[in-house]
Amino acid sequence: MTVVTVVQLYPGELGVAGDRGNVLALVARLRAAGFTPTVHEHRRDGLLPETADVVIVGGGPLSAMRNIYGDLMANAATLRVWAASGVPFFAYGSGCELLGTSVTLPDGNVLDGVGIFPLTAVRVPERTVGYVVVESTTGRVVGFEDNASRWTLGADALPLGSVSAGHGNGNGFEGVLAGRSIGTQIGGPVLPLNPALADRLVVGVAERLGIELTPREAAASNTTLTDDYAQRAREVIVGKATHVFSRI
Amino acid sequence: MAQRSSGPKYLVPVVLGKALRTLGRLRGGGSAFPGWAVLRLAPDFLQDATAQFAHGIVFVLGSNGKSTTTHMLSEVLRAHGVSVFTNPSGANLPQGIASSLLAEVNLFGRVNADIAVLEVDEAYALELAAILRPTTVLALNTQVDQLYRFYETERVADMMLDTLAVAQTHIVSNRDDPYLSKIDTRFAEKAAVDRPDISYFGVSEQVIAASAHGLVNAHDYRDEAVQTAPRFALAEVTATSKTGATVLVDGELVEVVLPSKGLHYAIDAAAAMAAARVILAERFDTSAAARAFAAMKPAYGRGELLQFGAEQVEFVMFKNAASLQLNLDAITDVPEQVMLAIDEGTPDISWIYDVDFSAIDHVDVITGAKAWQIALCLAHQGIPIGRVEPDLKIAIEFMRGLEKPSTGLKTWIVNYEQMMLARKLIGFGEMENQR
Ligand SMILES: [Zn+2]
Repeated sequence: MTVVTVVQLYPGELGVAGDRGNVLALVARLRAAGFTPTVHEHRRDGLLPETADVVIVGGGPLSAMRNIYGDLMANAATLRVWAASGVPFFAYGSGCELLGTSVTLPDGNVLDGVGIFPLTAVRVPERTVGYVVVESTTGRVVGFEDNASRWTLGADALPLGSVSAGHGNGNGFEGVLAGRSIGTQIGGPVLPLNPALADRLVVGVAERLGIELTPREAAASNTTLTDDYAQRAREVIVGKATHVFSRI
Repeated sequence: MAQRSSGPKYLVPVVLGKALRTLGRLRGGGSAFPGWAVLRLAPDFLQDATAQFAHGIVFVLGSNGKSTTTHMLSEVLRAHGVSVFTNPSGANLPQGIASSLLAEVNLFGRVNADIAVLEVDEAYALELAAILRPTTVLALNTQVDQLYRFYETERVADMMLDTLAVAQTHIVSNRDDPYLSKIDTRFAEKAAVDRPDISYFGVSEQVIAASAHGLVNAHDYRDEAVQTAPRFALAEVTATSKTGATVLVDGELVEVVLPSKGLHYAIDAAAAMAAARVILAERFDTSAAARAFAAMKPAYGRGELLQFGAEQVEFVMFKNAASLQLNLDAITDVPEQVMLAIDEGTPDISWIYDVDFSAIDHVDVITGAKAWQIALCLAHQGIPIGRVEPDLKIAIEFMRGLEKPSTGLKTWIVNYEQMMLARKLIGFGEMENQR
């Protein structure tokens, strides 16, 4: 039973639309793989733990981004050291943008990011809202997108996948990869809906620790129920993905 | 307020609108179309018709509780002998308001009521205020709501604050809401004579402390240092019980019976009484207010009990994480039989993971188009699920087949669209005549 530390950044400010679900799913998959996860919630003016095995961050409004910005920058060096040592990051929405290169805000101001993801984000007037389906190297990823951002990746950077329904980054691709780390604008939340994506992070955690994961015994796994529900939910979403919610 | 002339110029549009309205209702259900048609023919119809209310116009805004509070305020005013025009629940866009006004005006566009109490959608409130010039604006709360529509919660807060600020005479706001409570700071530099008066409603510290998840109002991230400051509340909830609440209104304790369980209904009652108190001034009578609450029927889907064979169904309706959480927090006896129904009327359901479901120990059936997504969330929270059945009709039959609970009560937790459909499926329909 290897204890692993999940660090969630700013669960209040950057956790506004169910991001807790991503943490729940990641913890469940780590446990199913035989790890003993502990979650460290990092809040503004708090202290990061000495080490981390996986870092997770969600989305929030502009005012929330501004509020945590100082604290994030004060901890940027530590986060970059973790990323360089192979700690997987999972980042959604504006949390991912702040871990990227820069975010251009609606008023034209630019926030420099932490630089973990090769990503520049530009906020745009038009919102993109609706179900999204992405084909990735981890298989099909589905969820709900709701943003007013266009993401441009660095020259050699890989997206999470290509969009088969929905909008994604705005150019046919969705998300961004950086080593073992995954950045995305797919909500829903995405990790419970896509257990394979959560498992990709779990594999990243294991690799870095030099632990070989044995294939799970289905009977011994406590994820049979959630796997089944996720599968059914995914089927429904794929069926509806052409339905685009118009801006009201 | 100047009395504007109505007169013959409205004869044709009003007759046509009334005819369209009757036709629409014969075909089943209300529609905003007649209102739209009248506004095309007579763009000034709304201004002219509404300028005639002797006691002016009240706007009711908020992320949660608009319908309930509009209903409460209307009934409290009626208990004081005031005749009230109000828009039906959900008809809170300009065309919908025009449509319901059509029922109220005579052929010359004249209205008979003393006051209009209007539930108004936040996104249209400021635009509508420019036309209707509300005398009183009541803002209930800012909660994380419909992010797919509003995205930034503070944008919604600003829509409400901007509308509060254009009230002609009275502002009534929530002392315990981090955003709305700060309405007074907008007038800090203005002399009292140059601005509307500002009154607050609120909840006592002890009552907030006793609530499992507090008030669930949105956190003010742009003014991180000050969430809420001490302010006097004209109406304050000082205690809640299973069936009602105690509200301190201007120094007098009022015991109110609530249409449904939950602290949010007690707050709505305080909001309604604060508004009634400023509108009626010295005429406000606490015993008349208490009488109004005692006689009030629950609004659709909010604690409403419907006959279901030999049993009864209790509807618990929610719109977003905040209203679902407050409804769950109001549960005192763990319900024996639970159906949970959510469809695409709630486009983005991500927030379901922010809701703590521990108040219920199981769900018998999860239904609606989003059933599998909801089941996924509840399974992650460790809540046992009997069955997942996306078809509401089949799910209802499944609920019918369950052994009669000892309380005789089945609890259906539903979003608005599933509530309307479920009512229809068990033989109850038609919403517009409700008030
Ligand atoms: Zn049961």
